[in-house]
Amino acid sequence: MKKYRKIFKNKNFMVILAITMSSILLFNSCADLDPDPVEFDLPPGTYGSVSELDNAIIGVYGQLTNAAKWTTFHAPSWAGDDITTHAESNKADFREFDQRNVAVTNGRLLSNWDAIFNIVNTANSILVRSEGLIGLGVDPEKVNRLIGEVYFLRGLAFFHAARVHGKIPLPLTRLPDPNIGLSEVVDVFAQIESDFLEAELRLPDVYPGIMPGAVRPNKGSAKSLLSRLYMHWAGFPLKDASKYASAANKAKEVIDNSGTYNFGLVEDLEDLWKLENRFNDESVFTMSYCGDCGFDTANLKNSILGLPGDFDGWQETFAEIRFFEDFPAGARKEATYRTDLDWQNFTDQKNPVFKKVTGPAGDLPAGAFMTGRSDFYMRYAEVLLIYAEASGRSGSVTPEAWDALNMIRRRAAGLPYATPDAGADLTTGDIAELAFEERKWEFAGEYLRWFDLVRMERVDQALTRRDDSGVLNESNTIIGSLGTDNYFSPIPAAVIEANPNLGN
Amino acid sequence: MKNLIDLKRLSLYALKFDLKMKLTAYLFIISLFQIQASTYSQNTKISIQMEDVTIERVLREIESKTEFKILYNDNQVDYKKKVSVNFKKERLSIILDKLFLKTPVVYEVLDKQIVLVLDSNKNKQTIAKKAIEQQTVSGIVTDEASLPIPGANIIVKGTTNGVVTDFDGNYSISVSSEDVLSVSYIGYATKKVTVGNQTTINIQLQPDVEQLDDIVVIGYGTSKKSDLTGAVSQVSAKSFEDQPVTRVEEALQGRASGVTVAKGGAPGAGYKVRIRGVNSVTGNNDPLVVVDGVFGGDLRTLNPNDIQSIEVLKDASALAIYGSRGSNGVILVSTKKGSGKAKVTLDHFVTVSELAKEIPTISSAEFARAKNASLIAGGSPARYSNSQIAALQNNPYDYQDMLFQTGIGNNTQLSVSGGDDKIRYFASGNYTNQQGTVITTKYERFSLRSNVSAKITDKLNIGLNMYGSRETQINNPDNFNRFKGSVILKALTWDPTLPVQDENGAYLTRANIANNGFNPIATLIRSNRERSADRFDANIDLGYKFTDNFKYQLIVGVGTINQNVESFIREDNASDANANHTTIDFSNGRTTNHQVSNILNWNKSFDKHNLDVTGVYEFQGSRFLNNGYLTAGTNTLNFYTSDNEDLSREDFSNGGSQSAITSYLGRVQYNFDNSLYLTGSIRVDESSRFSKENRTGYFPSAALAYSFNKLKFIEDNNVLNNLKIRAGWGQVGNQNINASARFDRTSPDGRTVFDGENVLVGLVDSQEGNPDLTWETTSQLNAGLDVGFLNGRINTSLDYFHKTTEDLLLRTVLPGTTINQFQNVGEVVNKGIDFSLSGSIIENDNFTWDATFTLSHIDNEVTKLTEGRDQILGSVNSIDGTDNPLNVIRKGESLGAFLGATYLGTWKTGETFPAGVQAGDAKYVVDEDGNNVLGVIGNGMPTLTWGFNTTFTYKNWLLNAFVNAATGFDVYNQLAGAINGGTGDYRDDLSLINAGQWTPQNQTESPRRNAPNNLLSSRYIEDGSFIRLSNLKIGYTFDDLVKGINSLQVYASGQNLFLITDYSGYDPEVSSTPVNSDLNNTDAGVGIDLGAYPNPRSFTLGVKIDF
Repeated sequence: MKKYRKIFKNKNFMVILAITMSSILLFNSCADLDPDPVEFDLPPGTYGSVSELDNAIIGVYGQLTNAAKWTTFHAPSWAGDDITTHAESNKADFREFDQRNVAVTNGRLLSNWDAIFNIVNTANSILVRSEGLIGLGVDPEKVNRLIGEVYFLRGLAFFHAARVHGKIPLPLTRLPDPNIGLSEVVDVFAQIESDFLEAELRLPDVYPGIMPGAVRPNKGSAKSLLSRLYMHWAGFPLKDASKYASAANKAKEVIDNSGTYNFGLVEDLEDLWKLENRFNDESVFTMSYCGDCGFDTANLKNSILGLPGDFDGWQETFAEIRFFEDFPAGARKEATYRTDLDWQNFTDQKNPVFKKVTGPAGDLPAGAFMTGRSDFYMRYAEVLLIYAEASGRSGSVTPEAWDALNMIRRRAAGLPYATPDAGADLTTGDIAELAFEERKWEFAGEYLRWFDLVRMERVDQALTRRDDSGVLNESNTIIGSLGTDNYFSPIPAAVIEANPNLGN
Repeated sequence: MKNLIDLKRLSLYALKFDLKMKLTAYLFIISLFQIQASTYSQNTKISIQMEDVTIERVLREIESKTEFKILYNDNQVDYKKKVSVNFKKERLSIILDKLFLKTPVVYEVLDKQIVLVLDSNKNKQTIAKKAIEQQTVSGIVTDEASLPIPGANIIVKGTTNGVVTDFDGNYSISVSSEDVLSVSYIGYATKKVTVGNQTTINIQLQPDVEQLDDIVVIGYGTSKKSDLTGAVSQVSAKSFEDQPVTRVEEALQGRASGVTVAKGGAPGAGYKVRIRGVNSVTGNNDPLVVVDGVFGGDLRTLNPNDIQSIEVLKDASALAIYGSRGSNGVILVSTKKGSGKAKVTLDHFVTVSELAKEIPTISSAEFARAKNASLIAGGSPARYSNSQIAALQNNPYDYQDMLFQTGIGNNTQLSVSGGDDKIRYFASGNYTNQQGTVITTKYERFSLRSNVSAKITDKLNIGLNMYGSRETQINNPDNFNRFKGSVILKALTWDPTLPVQDENGAYLTRANIANNGFNPIATLIRSNRERSADRFDANIDLGYKFTDNFKYQLIVGVGTINQNVESFIREDNASDANANHTTIDFSNGRTTNHQVSNILNWNKSFDKHNLDVTGVYEFQGSRFLNNGYLTAGTNTLNFYTSDNEDLSREDFSNGGSQSAITSYLGRVQYNFDNSLYLTGSIRVDESSRFSKENRTGYFPSAALAYSFNKLKFIEDNNVLNNLKIRAGWGQVGNQNINASARFDRTSPDGRTVFDGENVLVGLVDSQEGNPDLTWETTSQLNAGLDVGFLNGRINTSLDYFHKTTEDLLLRTVLPGTTINQFQNVGEVVNKGIDFSLSGSIIENDNFTWDATFTLSHIDNEVTKLTEGRDQILGSVNSIDGTDNPLNVIRKGESLGAFLGATYLGTWKTGETFPAGVQAGDAKYVVDEDGNNVLGVIGNGMPTLTWGFNTTFTYKNWLLNAFVNAATGFDVYNQLAGAINGGTGDYRDDLSLINAGQWTPQNQTESPRRNAPNNLLSSRYIEDGSFIRLSNLKIGYTFDDLVKGINSLQVYASGQNLFLITDYSGYDPEVSSTPVNSDLNNTDAGVGIDLGAYPNPRSFTLGVKIDF
């Protein structure tokens, strides 16, 4: 009683009130309207150091790894006469390609589209942000190399999409124009060429401090992909035959400097698919994975994905029957297929099994779906065969061209590739067609065959042959058109929904 | 002449010390318990015999003999004065009367306190009495039930001469015959009586309808309901205390018009509360919750028992004072303050919950036969032998049965409250635990509250409210891997021929047929995901009255939420070659909030003009920090051995954000003669979420109301006695976006390995900053009508509103990228009607019947999108693995629009089929290229919701029923689609084999078995309309069962007892949260059933005791 009366009387209360009011003003600093954003992960407008650029480039590789680790990355290749999938199961998206009946809602197509343009967008962002590094006095050689890598990855991403869709958008700004339209194929190819040329210019002969097989690209990697690009440029749909010479020239540059770029053939084709050889000189650009590091960085395309239900496999990637039966017997066939398996008597779907997918028996842990197997995005063998084929098609066949073809033939027969062998070697005939045929067997199951059929307009021929009854019928019959009208996959519906200018 | 002058001087003097105002003020507050208190003092009789002692001694003696405490100011009471007393079993009131006879001391009883105060009137009256020869009038003041009213004011009209009735309602006053007595008491109509020759005047007061008006909390102040100019719904504790409510959201459902509540079925799941539809497409349409003046409350963690009232502010004139945070509506929660004699309430109930409905699926043996048939038709051997089928016939595996259980829940709450003029307290504790109807799911909550307020002086009040809660949620299915459907959907599509464990007890986690995911039962049994959150809020509320008309209030609130997730989710077996689906996730988040509000209020009445002005300066800040550890593919068997010694598989993360708002607010309320009401307000907010140039927002409002009650046609009307029209306009904002929304962001998402061993993590762009970002603004027009009949027994309100929300905030993915950006993208219009009708239909001594009906109609439409855009794809993705969006934000459609193909039945034999199609397959609308045309095929947002709550009491019996309903919306039933199989991970058809399916002989419109299936089509759109009996309760109250217990009620009730709907899934009211919940755009995408946790049906038995 007394106490509060006193407070009241002495007007101490007014003092308390004053203190409260002033403390309110003090408190006010707590309502900070401009919090320090860098406290939480926010990027700078431009890079301030090479390590920031480095980090960003690892980010692009991360996006590439994330895209390429799934079979999804290669789903359009199921259209080829070499690869098929389960007739039921949850493989509808793959079946649509296999049966030439691709829906605009195909989920794999959409995932791929997003994944590829993620790479493009990040690459674009890096190219813009790295402008600030120039003149900062940082190691210009390293910056140059890193920028070269960005161009390489962007070119690769565009190329990967262009092979599937034909016309694609070409966003080149830090953020894409939301209303961007599709570019004509010729412009797309010109852009890819420009990116690879920029990469070729800037990349070193050998990327320092990395594993064999160009896990990060070098000059030779860029040249190799350029040669592949020119092969497509010369074929369907642009059919600019002058590009065969460009292809031959670029391939020849790689062959002539293979020692400089550390490229070459492995002796035994079967070795290529062993886990222990995941880094080897035959790959001119390798995507590397870690099987034990978890989902994010493992390769998810191999092992049980290629096995049937009989082995608890996920039966995603099977070999086509006709193709298997036509495949010339020999060391290469053994290295390509699991001939030890009696596929005709599987209780589940009856199709041959790719050794290239499951790995040699016992090489990968039983039942594994996450592996550390590398992807050889392009092999030196392809450079050799491009050289042979392009020489033929451009009318400038040289003995080196025949030798390039013969190296592959010798190895396929189980012979040392560098030693001429009369039984295996060819010196006459249509080298272009011979090399094209050689590619069919050499790269079976490596997701390349479909695009070869497209560029040479041989889809009809090959897929009709595919459905000639072998010992057993194929499960997934062709539904859609085999004409050129059905060569390219539609732009995914969801992409068009978001931007109608990308309408097919 | 002399007398007159004397009186004048007296009155001036008296004004200064007049108790009347003070008494009025606190009587106003304590009127509720006044009767209780006086009953006690009335009946208290004591004996005292003391000679020549000080008054102080006598008072101490009284204290020792009674439960009373006597308080006085030693300057006012001459407690040293010597007296002699001799009372035998005399009433305390009489003893005190005698003790202070002929002194200016009066006393007032407040529960168990007796306050002695100086009343100069008392003295002067005696003088006045001597000055003019007057008569003494006495009598008793009673209420409408003839019960005495203590504390009623009796004043001689035109003078300050007055007295207050004693505990028994008696008064005595000296007057002259021409005087008019004015008798008043809070809540009663003032009565005037001319004295004349009477010496005994007994006065009966009648309740004043208008004055009985509830006090309504309107934000930064209160208002009488009759003075409201805006649309405010009030839900008082009284309206839901009849029902066993464990969640505050349940108390709102169907009781406040314009409020929709969508429950989640999982124990402890978030309920979605929406006020007048959905404006915002950012995903956050949660109304702002303000608890006792402090922002940022969480309805889920509150104990419903602590709540005195909930006010829902709906229209802009009510909301504008919350400025940039008001556009989703504001829910003001006022917690209880104690008063009167200590009161203890104990409430305990037990709830048994079960699945309300089963979805029929094919039996194990039937499935085996059907599978065999389809394999043989495709040229493959049969999968099941006859003996296996026979075994399945005898011992089927019913995964739905295995998934669901009967859940038991317990709820106990205890509260203690009381108070007097000086101290008021309310303390409560609550413990709730609930088992879910899905196995292993659980929820538990403890909460403690302490509200104490003290009147330090007549001018100074201080209150301290503290609330702490701890909630723990186990295995919420939403937190499991739902990439291709929830555990509920998995159970319904799982291979029914496969047991959970093999004969050795090993879990069979994968099936080769039916569902390609992981065994949902094995997952739930072996996983333990525990989310626990500790929340502590404290606020100090200080009020200082400079004068009776000028007040200052300071509210300082601080809050902390510590959330912890310990998650061990095991989907696969450690022995699997790539066991990557056993994840351990440990994360902690800490949110701290602070708020300081300074409120100045001045109000004054000049003749018939009443003015009330409020000014506020306020600031708030919030900071959130989190860190986490995640490892996948671990082989350990439990959570705490999570270190798998492989750094490459372990992820660590840290993050956080910070935000702040500074605000200024002014509000003026004016009314003329309690007939014409005007309110105007403006709030200025500065928010850290926006860059400096776009930071400051001005949110004005104006409203007008006119009450016809003073007009003759109402005053003289026996039926209609309240008629008021209201209209208002205002603007409010929404800034519910991430604190870092305006900045560029990167995230460490790019992982790669160059050497095959060491993982490198790179940064990729994840958010594009937007410096132009600003809040979305909702302009709302509201017109309303309040009508009251039969002395307030029937009340009805009707409001029409038109809300336009511009600059819609949207977290959008930049086209052609996966980079997010927050943008202001368009405009949404909500138009609608809120209606409520409540009445005391029957009011007898033994029988009463009360009922309330509320109805809301909302028409929602996206009217504009930024230039060049017709639509924005929604963020609820399909579960068939294609990631195609199920919803869309499209111009001209409601925000709840579903996207998909239009289903046309089946292809018939003989038609020309497109490639890949055969007779009996589903047919869709296609374009010229043969591709399905995607369009808007449904709307998940109800256009009409209503609730009907009714209570009957007969003597001690109580019957309460609550029905709610929603109509005019669709449900996108992805669950049904998945059961039909034929797409994505749903490989086999598990629907019942029935005659309706297409066969070559019977070509119906329902596709053949095992036909390819498209979940994203109108085939799976169903009408969601429903009527639900939400609650039915029967209770009985025992009056004098046991001494010491005031009342004891036992009750039984049922929740969700019946549901009338055409929807074929579990429940049309639940909609799934999107799987990719980081976009949490939950409103644009309402009504999509991806296998949502069904609402249970439950039965409750309870007892409630008041001591």
